[in-house]
Amino acid sequence: MKAETKIDPKLVEEILKFTRNIVKAPKLVAAPDEITIEVTPHEIAQQIDKTRLLHYKPLTDKQHKTPLLISYALINRYHILDIQAEKSWVRNLLEQGFDVYMLDWGSPTNMDKYLDFDDYVNGYLDSCVEFIKDESSSEKISLQGYCTGATIATAYTAIHPESVKNFIATAPVIDGWRDTTVISNLAKHIDVDKMVKTIGNMPPEFMYYCFSVLKPFEQGIEKYVNFFKNIDNQRFVDNFLRVEKWLGDTPPIPGELFKQWIKDIYQENLLIQNKMYVGSNHIDLKKIDMPIFTQVAVGDHLVSPECSMPLHYAVGSQDKTLRIYPTGHVGMIASSLSQKKVLPELGEWLAERS
Amino acid sequence: MTSKPQALTSIGPMRAFATNSKKITTELIEINEKLLDFNKFLTEYYKQLAETWNVAQKKVSQKIPEIPHDAEQIEAYKRVWVEMFDNDFTELFDSEKFGDNYGKLVSMELELTKHWTNISNVILQAANLPSKEEIDEVYKELHALKKRVTRLEIDTKKKKDEKT
Repeated sequence: MKAETKIDPKLVEEILKFTRNIVKAPKLVAAPDEITIEVTPHEIAQQIDKTRLLHYKPLTDKQHKTPLLISYALINRYHILDIQAEKSWVRNLLEQGFDVYMLDWGSPTNMDKYLDFDDYVNGYLDSCVEFIKDESSSEKISLQGYCTGATIATAYTAIHPESVKNFIATAPVIDGWRDTTVISNLAKHIDVDKMVKTIGNMPPEFMYYCFSVLKPFEQGIEKYVNFFKNIDNQRFVDNFLRVEKWLGDTPPIPGELFKQWIKDIYQENLLIQNKMYVGSNHIDLKKIDMPIFTQVAVGDHLVSPECSMPLHYAVGSQDKTLRIYPTGHVGMIASSLSQKKVLPELGEWLAERS
Repeated sequence: MTSKPQALTSIGPMRAFATNSKKITTELIEINEKLLDFNKFLTEYYKQLAETWNVAQKKVSQKIPEIPHDAEQIEAYKRVWVEMFDNDFTELFDSEKFGDNYGKLVSMELELTKHWTNISNVILQAANLPSKEEIDEVYKELHALKKRVTRLEIDTKKKKDEKT
C-alpha cells in the first residue's frame, strides 16, 4: 500500500497568504519617484561641474569648532548616509553637535570620461575642503571617507595633511591584494585598459552585475521573500523601498578614474606600498600624521577587513584608533548598531579632537 | 558630360556609404569570428554556474534528505538552501577559473562592441558626422582646458590673497 503524504494545513495557509501578498503588493507599494530618500535639511553650498557640496542645517544650539566633511563612495549615491531619520548617519552627527558637509560626486556623463584620480582628489575634494575652511574660518577640517570615498580621502590626506585635523576612514579600500571579496577577484581579471578605451565610463549595469554575485541567494531571494511576507508592515515596506531605490541609483564611474582605481588598488596594489601617484603627487601614507579613526566591519563582503585594516598600521599618526564592528558594509553606516555603537564611539572620539 | 544628379552623388552620403560598405562587410565577418569565441566563454560561464548549482543542490539534499512538509521545516530547509548556495557560489566567483573565464568573456564582449563602434563610425562619416574617436578628442581637449582654467583660477586667487 502506498504511504500517504500529509501536508500541514498551516503550510497551505502560509502559501496562500504569501500569494495574496504578492497580488496586493502593487497596490501598496509606491513608485520609485514617489519615494524621498533625502531626509535631513541641507543647502547646496558649492557646485562644481556635476559635484555638489551639501551643508546640513545644525540641529543643536552649540556646535563643535571643527567642521566635518564626508567623502562618500563612488558607487551608489550619498543618500544611504541619510536614508531614514532614525538610521541617519548625518542626523546623528548633527545631533552630537557637529557641523556636517557632504560631497556628492554627482552622475558623470560620457563627457566626463577623462576625469581621473587627480581631478577627484586635487580638484573636487580639495576645492570643497578649501571652501569649508573659508566659510568656517577654520585652518583645518575633519575628513571622513566611506568605502571608495575613503580611498580618495586617504590620498587627499596624504597630499594635503596641513588641511586635515582629524581623519576618519570607514571601510576604506586600501590593500587590494589582501581583499578577499568576489569584487577583488573580478577586478584582478579585467582588461581595464580595453574596457575604458571601448566603452568610456564604467556603466552602472556592470556594477549591478558585480553586486549581484555578492551573496546572490540571500540578496536575490531571501530579501524579496521577506519583503512580500511583510507587505502589510508600512514601516518595513517604506524602509525597504528606500534602500532599493538607493541600490538602483548607481552613477557611472569616469573611465580614467576607474582605470587607475582598478590598476593601482586591485591589480598592482600601489597605495599600501606607498608607490601610488595622483597626478604628479606621490602618495606616502606615512605623511598622514593627524589623529586617525579607522572603522571596519567583520562581515563586510564588499571591502573585506583585511583590505581596510592595513591603513591603521601604515599611517604615520601617533594618535590612531581601530574599531572593528560585528556588522556588514552598509550595516556599519545605516543600522541600529551604527546608531547605538558606531556613531556614539565616533562622536566621542571626534568631539575630543574638534 | 557631367550632369547635376551625377555631381550630387559624388558628394552625397550614398557615395560615401558605398565607398565604405567594404569596411562594414569586413567588420561583420570579424564579428562572426569573434562571436564563436564569445560563445565559447559564455558556454563555459554557464557550465560553471550549472555545475556549482548541482553540487550545492546535492549538498542540501544530503543535509536534509526528507521532503519538508510543514511551515517550520520549510523555513529550516530554505535557510540551509540559501546558506549552501551562497557559500558554493561565492567560492566559485572567488575562484581563479571563474575570474579567468569571466575576464575573457568581458574582453570578447568588448571586442564585439569595438566592431559595432567601427560600423557606426562608417555610417556617421557617410552622413558627415564626427566619429566616436573625434568626439573623444573633443572631450579630452575640454577636460585639459577645464584643468588649465581651474589651475589659473587657483593661482589668481593665491596672488590676490597674497596682495591682501
